[in-house]
This record gives sequence, structure tokens and C-alpha cells, in this order.
Amino acid sequence: MSDLIAWSDDYFWGAMVVLKIFAVSLVMAVAFGLIGATAKLSKSSIANKIASAYTIVFRGVPELLVILIFYYGSAITLTSIGRVFYPQTQFIDIAPFWAGAFAIALIVGSYATETFRGAFLGVDPGIVEAARALGLSNLHTFFYVRVPQMWRLALPSFGNHMLSLMKDTALISIIGLEEIVYVAEMATAVTLKPFTMYMIVALIYLSITTVITLVMMALEKHSNRHLEGAL
Amino acid sequence: MNESDQKPIIILEDVCKFFGDFQALRNINLQVKKGERVVVCGPSGSGKSTMIRCINRLEEHDSGKIFVDGRELTSAVKDIDAVRREVGMVFQSFNLFPHLTAINNLMLALKLVRKTKKSEAREIAMRFLERVHIPEQADKYPSQLSGGQQQRVAIARALCMNPEVMLFDEPTSALDPEMISEVLDVMTDLANEGMTMIVITHEMGFARNVADNIVFMDCGQIVEMKPTDEFFENPESERTKLFLEQIL
Ligand SMILES: Nc1ncnc2c1ncn2[C@@H]1O[C@H](COP(=O)(O)OP(=O)(O)OP(=O)(O)O)[C@@H](O)[C@H]1O
Ligand SMILES: [Mg+2]
Repeated sequence: MSDLIAWSDDYFWGAMVVLKIFAVSLVMAVAFGLIGATAKLSKSSIANKIASAYTIVFRGVPELLVILIFYYGSAITLTSIGRVFYPQTQFIDIAPFWAGAFAIALIVGSYATETFRGAFLGVDPGIVEAARALGLSNLHTFFYVRVPQMWRLALPSFGNHMLSLMKDTALISIIGLEEIVYVAEMATAVTLKPFTMYMIVALIYLSITTVITLVMMALEKHSNRHLEGAL
Repeated sequence: MNESDQKPIIILEDVCKFFGDFQALRNINLQVKKGERVVVCGPSGSGKSTMIRCINRLEEHDSGKIFVDGRELTSAVKDIDAVRREVGMVFQSFNLFPHLTAINNLMLALKLVRKTKKSEAREIAMRFLERVHIPEQADKYPSQLSGGQQQRVAIARALCMNPEVMLFDEPTSALDPEMISEVLDVMTDLANEGMTMIVITHEMGFARNVADNIVFMDCGQIVEMKPTDEFFENPESERTKLFLEQIL
């Protein structure tokens, strides 16, 4: 018990890091998903191909490898660029936080691309026409008509993507981000109680994912409110 | 009548439209004056919808010219948006935004296209819901309204943009019989107020009441266009006669 108290601060701040990275990559993942889905549905065959390549790569490579390759790849690139200007440069990297957030956003974004694509196809084209006929621009039609309609259809799968995103954050300790898995490793090294230390991590994740699930349920209810009491 | 009443607000000159190899419109020529009410009828697949959808460029014509209030319809986005602001459209399947309440369906374009302030948009929207006799349904979602009510919201949504012309594509075809008259009544009121209207419909009672001219289409062509009484009393072409026999 005293071990837990001794490490509680570290777990707390580790959990804060997890939540921050979740929020940041969620926003990016939604953006990647919307861009990817729009590219897949666009008439441009170049856009189609780029988007297909994106989803094939990021859905096909293990998450852990994406994170490692992204972190070391960017670090090697930055270091060699740095050496051009300052030959004595040793090592430049992107902060693990941003490298990790970006990497998992790309992964989850590739799943979201497929989900959003399917959901956009489910939007009644008549409603989009009505928006055009009222003189709404393409951009307004996208954000005020197509996305809200698509969103309702995408929510159930998107909830699963959010859970994967949350769980993927546990992988980022591998590039040195000081989140809760990292804290557990440190704590284990000192206390020699791996079971307890990792169990705490599991419980923290479980409580966060439970909250996400509850929020998703509320969101689904909210997005279907217009169907309540339907004739 | 002064000069501007005589000037056509809509002009179609030799308009052709293809879907792949299939020619949906063949050299359509049509002029509609300000304040004129035109009813378009004809068998299924004759190109009625395609023709009016070209007028607000939901479909692009392949050749010929279309003018709306003196503005030619080209691929210039600015012109299309300008035309769409002047042309309201009502669809067979209502096409209300399902995620918005009735009043928000009206307010969306007011806010985004007309840049009206929210409070003002709400006032305008309410006024138009009153005009179609359903102010009490303002806060309901489309799925909570009957078909007739939904179509009246859709009419109000188009009207509150203050269009010069209203296009109706079979506005009552998707309605249960007992709801048809509530929609036709709203449209008749609108006609009596002097709105320029092009209406695709098979409601010949409405056509007789309201239309100045009737257009009969078949196989992508305008077969006949005549003042209403003349159209019903002595149709020229055999195809028109046949059609009228079937429908009346
Ligand atoms: N997007 C499209 N792609 C291919 N063909 C089309 C398309 N839209 C319409 N057509 C064809 O063009 C012809 C004219 O269609 P249109 O919808 O204008 O007919 P309509 O007179 O409105 O018929 P209805 O009374 O059934 O509504 C039809 O043969 C139809 O199959
Ligand atoms: Mg039609």
C-alpha cells in the first residue's frame, strides 16, 4: 500500500498525459478521417489513390511499428537535416508526445476514413440537393448538412475507434513518453511488484474507457433525438 | 402592365441534356414571364424533372442556353449561387434536413446564405411557418411531422429565402390523398400572390385553377405549350390527347 501512495503522484500525472494525448489525437484522427473519406469519394482519381494507399498502409502495419518508424524516421530525417547546418548535431527528435499523438491519429484516422466513407454514402442525396438548391456553398453543405447526417451513421463504429485510440496510447511509452505504462515500468524496477503496478495501469485505462463508452451512448441518444416520437 | 411584367425571367434556348448516350432533353425552348404560372405535365421519364433541375443547375445542360433573370447559367460558381438564391425548389420527397427542427430547417440558409442575424432569421422563419399554417410545429423534427406538414415546411424553407421563382417537382406525389389539398392550398395562395411558378404535377384540377400555361412533354421534348383553357379544350397533338384521356 505504501508503494502505491509513493507512486500515486506519478500515476496521476501519467494519466493526465494519457488524457491529453487522447484529446489531441482524437481531433487529428477525426480530421484525417474526414479528409480521407472526402478524398475516397471525390471524383479525382489521384485523390482516390492517395486515400487508398493511406488506409492500406495504416490499417495494415501494426500500431507499435507505426509509432517506432514514425518517431525514428522523423528523428533521423531531422538529425540529418540538422547536420547540414550544424555538423556537430547529435540527435534531434520530435517530442515523443507529438510523434506519438500524430502516429496514433494517423492509424485511427485510417479506420475512421473507412467508417466515414460508408456513412457519407448513407446520406440521402436528396438532402444534399436541397442544400445546394438553397444556395449553400460546398463547404457549408459539407459541415452543416453532410457531416451531421453522416455523423449519426458513423457514431457506433466511431465509438470503437475511440476505444482503440485510447488503448493505443499505452504504446507510446516505447518512445519514452512518460505516461502510465512508463510510470509502471519505473515503479516495478524500484518496488519489484510488476503485478500491482500494471494492474493499476489496467484499472486507470478501464475507468477512462468506461467513461468513453458512457459518453458515446449519450451521444448516440442525442444524435437520434430527432427520431424520438417519430410518426 | 408595365415593361418588366412582360420580360421573361426564365429563358431556355435549344437546351439539350444527355445522360451518357441517352438524350433526356431535346432542344427545349421555354420562356416564363415574371408572375406567370406554368404547369408541366407528361408521362414518366419524359424529362420534366430534368428540365426544371437544369434551371437551378442541379443538372448541367450540355448545349443551348439558360437565362434566369438575365443571368446566363454557366459553370461559373458565383453565377450559380446567385441563381440559386433567386430560385426556390420544392421536391417530391420533401428533403428536409432530418437533424434540424422545422424552424431550424428554415433558418439554416437564412443564416449561412443570406447572413441574417439569428434573432432576425427566427422571426422571418416564424412568419413563413405561419404562412403555411404550421407555426405550432416549429420545434418538431421532420420525422415527427406528417407528409403534408413536411412538404409545407419545405415550401416555407424555399419561400423564406425570398426567391423570384419557385420550382415544384411533383410536390404532392408522395403524399397520402388526404394531405394533398393542404399542400395545394398553400401553393394556390402563393400563385394568387403573384409568385412566378413552374410546377410539375398531375393534379389537373390545380392546373386548371392556377396555371396560365401548360407545357406537355414527351420523350425529352416539349410537345405542346398552350394557355390552360385551350390546352384542355383543344389539345393539338395525338400524344397530348392520349395523355389527357389517361389522366382525367
Ligand atoms: N442521373 C441520371 N442518370 C441517368 N439517367 C437519368 C438521370 N436522371 C434522369 N435520367 C433519365 O432521364 C429521363 C428523364 O428523366 P426525368 O426524371 O426528367 O423524367 P420525369 O419526366 O421527371 O419522370 P417522372 O414523372 O417519372 O418523374 C429518364 O429516362 C431517366 O431515366
Ligand atoms: Mg420527375
